[in-house]
Amino acid sequence: MNVAVGDTIPEWVMESVCPERMRTMAAILRDPNPIHWDRAAVGALPLGLGRRTINQGPLGLSYMVNMLHAWTGPGSIRRIVMRFPQVVLDGERVVARGEVTAVRDEQQKRLVDCIIRLEHAERGVLLEGNATVAVQAS
Amino acid sequence: MHPIPPEEDITALAGHRFPGGEYTVAHWENVLLTGCTGAELLPGGMVHPVALFHLPIAGAGTSIAEMFALGQAESDLSIMIESYDWELFDELYEAVSYHISGEIVSAQRCSQENGALYDRLVFQFEVFSPQQALVARTTITWHYTRNTL
Repeated sequence: MNVAVGDTIPEWVMESVCPERMRTMAAILRDPNPIHWDRAAVGALPLGLGRRTINQGPLGLSYMVNMLHAWTGPGSIRRIVMRFPQVVLDGERVVARGEVTAVRDEQQKRLVDCIIRLEHAERGVLLEGNATVAVQAS
Repeated sequence: MHPIPPEEDITALAGHRFPGGEYTVAHWENVLLTGCTGAELLPGGMVHPVALFHLPIAGAGTSIAEMFALGQAESDLSIMIESYDWELFDELYEAVSYHISGEIVSAQRCSQENGALYDRLVFQFEVFSPQQALVARTTITWHYTRNTL
């Protein structure tokens, strides 16, 4: 796989963040936080978010995983560091994007460092961070 | 107004170790988890990395609710995520019993620019294969906000 600094990672799109998936996720995670399954609880917060549930942080992170898997294949991710400057809300269309910042060879593996982010068309960057993936040197 | 816990109660959490234990991702669990991410199931029984949130927590013998309680969270709504750091040294697979250890590696009282206090807790978990190889390390950094809601 040919990868160079400045390359753009093909974007991955979640067309509509689904509240039912948040509910399933909450059950699996045993996450008691009502912001993930109770629109009224979110509506009562002084955050101006309206009556929309808030996506779990790991689910937003998983969209970055899906983007990286689609690009370099399952099992390629070595590290993801994710920060959460804004919440992701149910019904939103969000796009995972990234760019290559470094390519290095380490212990007979080619490692690719990237900046990654999750974007919303109006609200801008919702999640941001860095990832490292391993690729086959071409 | 909620009472703010004494700072020494918070800083004393550094070094707290969870009991540790085992966790096995079942096929049904991987199917549901992967579906929640919007992806197709990964090949060969590979577990979607999104499991690196709950697998270490549950496997270490704790829970999100206990982690909230340890930091004396005012409510479930008062927790803010600073970051998640997931290091993967190998793939995770269904039906493998992983051993997990976990601890609080840092606990500090902090203040925002506007003077509002919050407590910053850093949890770290390590996931080992049945052969005792380190498979993954995850670091969760949460802010326990005080009187902001």
